[in-house]
Amino acid sequence: MTLELRHVRAGYGRTEVLHDVSLTVPDGATVALLGSNGAGKTTTLKTIAGLVHPSAGDVCWNGKALGHSAPHHRVDQGICLIPEGRGIFRNLTVAENLAMHVRGRRKADAVRTATKYFPVLGERLSQTAGTMSGGQQQMLAVARALVTQPQLLMIDELSVGLAPVVIDELFAAVAMLRAEGRSLLIVEQYVHRALAIADYVYILHKGRIAFVGEPAQCEGGAVFSRYLGEGVA
Amino acid sequence: MSDYLPFLVLGVTSGSIYALAALGLVVTYTTSGVFNFAHGTVAMVSAYAYYTLTVTHHMKPVLALLLIVLGLGPLIGIVVDKALFRRLVGAGSAAYVVVSIGLLVALQGLVIIKYGPTARPVPNIFPSGVVDLGQVNVGYDQIAITAIAAGLGLGLVVFFTKTQTGLDMRAVVDDPQLSELTGANASRTTAMAWMLGSSFAALAGVLLAPTLGVDATLLTLLVVQAFGAAALGRLRSLPIAYLGAIGLGIAGQLSTKWTGRWATEHTWLGGLPNSLPFIVLFTVLLVSKKGSFVELTRNVASRTQAAGLAPGARRFPTALLIGLVAVSLVIPSIATDSRVTTATTALAMLVVFASLSLLLGLSRQISLCHAVFVALGASTLGHLQNQGVPFLPALLLSGLIVVPVAGLLAIPAIRLSGLFLALATFGFGVLFQNLLFRTSWVFGTAGQLGVDRPSVFGHNLTGTKGFYWFTLVISIVSVLVIEVIRATRLGRLLRATADSNVAVETLGINTTAARTVVFCTSGFFAAIAGGLLGAQVSSVSTTSFNFLSSMLWVTVLVAAGAATLGGATLATLLLVAIPAFFTSAEVINYQTAAFGIAAIMFAQAPNGVIGLITELPRRAFVAKLADDGVPRIAARRARMAERLAVSGR
Repeated sequence: MTLELRHVRAGYGRTEVLHDVSLTVPDGATVALLGSNGAGKTTTLKTIAGLVHPSAGDVCWNGKALGHSAPHHRVDQGICLIPEGRGIFRNLTVAENLAMHVRGRRKADAVRTATKYFPVLGERLSQTAGTMSGGQQQMLAVARALVTQPQLLMIDELSVGLAPVVIDELFAAVAMLRAEGRSLLIVEQYVHRALAIADYVYILHKGRIAFVGEPAQCEGGAVFSRYLGEGVA
Repeated sequence: MSDYLPFLVLGVTSGSIYALAALGLVVTYTTSGVFNFAHGTVAMVSAYAYYTLTVTHHMKPVLALLLIVLGLGPLIGIVVDKALFRRLVGAGSAAYVVVSIGLLVALQGLVIIKYGPTARPVPNIFPSGVVDLGQVNVGYDQIAITAIAAGLGLGLVVFFTKTQTGLDMRAVVDDPQLSELTGANASRTTAMAWMLGSSFAALAGVLLAPTLGVDATLLTLLVVQAFGAAALGRLRSLPIAYLGAIGLGIAGQLSTKWTGRWATEHTWLGGLPNSLPFIVLFTVLLVSKKGSFVELTRNVASRTQAAGLAPGARRFPTALLIGLVAVSLVIPSIATDSRVTTATTALAMLVVFASLSLLLGLSRQISLCHAVFVALGASTLGHLQNQGVPFLPALLLSGLIVVPVAGLLAIPAIRLSGLFLALATFGFGVLFQNLLFRTSWVFGTAGQLGVDRPSVFGHNLTGTKGFYWFTLVISIVSVLVIEVIRATRLGRLLRATADSNVAVETLGINTTAARTVVFCTSGFFAAIAGGLLGAQVSSVSTTSFNFLSSMLWVTVLVAAGAATLGGATLATLLLVAIPAFFTSAEVINYQTAAFGIAAIMFAQAPNGVIGLITELPRRAFVAKLADDGVPRIAARRARMAERLAVSGR
């Protein structure tokens, strides 16, 4: 199952954010999407998820253009986005959040899988999700990917506002999903962490793809200092 | 004990009907984030549909009930959702309140156009007959209603906690975008929630109809009693809303029994049973811990925050004021006496709208009890005149006496915002009308109070033109003061609190004082205008102003433009001047419906019709710029960016 963006243009209202973005996530590969603030990373993910519709170009999933299909249809086809911020329902309990994700399928299995990787969630099944700590909320958001087993998982800023030890735990789960052979598309502020697990790197700059390559090519920092600012690498 | 049993049975029955209404209200609110002020109106429309089906078309009552609850109710729900509230996603909570009030006013007007204002009897749904339970007889209908409410209440709880659709509904209001990302169809789920909620309203309306007859205002007012029960459960808990409604039903009946023996002496007690829900509503909102009422506004709102500052809202409207004075000066010399009378009313209403715009337009606080201030102003003036106080001091005093009442409202205004402030003022308004308007110290023992016209410094101003000149002076002075407030520091402060109260507080400014001052000022001028209106028709009574007047004024002002004097002027023209040129009574009803619809249309515009008119030239300029200017600028920027990128900077 390969994801391909072909010359996609997209934006909000009259403002075009993505100008001609082409990108490929091969089956089973992990792709890191990097770029400075406002480069269009989140918009790219939203376009793939169906929350933003491209004004030109195509988003192709397994060779077929997705057109303007609704986000919930794309979920059915195995495309999963964990959005920026905490991708959880704050007013529902932890168990209800998990039930939302598996949608009528086996809820007990979902709870078991989620608590296997994040035991702390098991202690808080009936707690309102919004009252948990930021790290636990993000664990719940990632648990969703574990229980729904998507073909393509997109994660927007997994580590924002979290302690390093929590980030380690979350990335361990991501690494495991990668090992299971799922395609990953990751937007991440900690460039090193992203590079450590990525097979390919795309750098977005002002709505255009400015660099495509493998993590090794990024060594030395010339690419980063140009597009992400000094001192990132 | 056996004395109380019949009242208990009646209480549980009426409580069950309110419970159905309250459950519907909570369902729509928790699943769509919209508190539907028109919930009672949906019930009212359904009751009229029941009338049409059973009386006009001789349909069997049970069949009609099923048709309305399973057909009409869901249909209204889906139309209201798709046509009205879906467009508002991303707007502020004020827009939602205004649209639902607009819907209430519009439907109220339309139903009265079609059926007239008199109540009509409708056939019973359930067979008559009673079950003897020893000490008390219980009617079949009472058993049926209680069972239906209890069964449906239980069903709802199970539905929301155990089924995927129920879970989806709660998830969608939490975060519609995220729920789409989990594979739920957010749009369909919201539509279903609306269908469900208005089905419950329809059921409540039809069940109420046989005992009350169908009466547009009465039905709407009775169903809004459910607001109190819903408030008990913080608008979110279904079980508390259900139990609260039953409790309120019983309390209402018991208070009827207890107050019965004194009711002839103390007429206000007669209003107590129907006021209980509003006492509860107001009290719960007032005493709840800060933060326990959290608005369920949709997440996407943050990005596309509601329309910004209306054009011209900052400027002092010198030209308009001069124009107004100029036109007012020539009116008496060219118009007939009856037109001068209309103009006098218009000048007083201008003050009403200007004072309301201080709240609605400036600090964006929705007050649904403005009619209370106006009515109190008129009645206080009447009382003071009876005590021999001359007109001018009496008018000033009546304004000042209303200030503490308005200050009372500032308490919820400081604690609450948006929807909940609107709800609190609504409760306050209905409470005042039901309870205090019946007492002798508001409108006298006869429920009607004479208000004389003035005589100032020996000049008799009781004639049509004399009173016109007097009203003109008072109105212009009032509007001037209001405009000065708007244009100076307090005005800026209030505009800023409307955007972000927290941000203003971090500047070290006391926003509590500002909010209190604006409520008191608004109440003061509304009372002055009330005095003028009372003197104009030379009396004021319990029926002069009611809670529907408050709602109508809000819709008219929002439609016309709440942020500027231009809007208040247009609102006055629409409400007072236009009907004066038509003699038919029907025009008034069409006018009401039209105002409701207009408020729905312009709820999101920054300054209503007047805003659109004044903004036209600017829009044309921007459009021209966009047509030829912007692409060129964008292209130049892109070229520069590329050069910079290539040169490695």
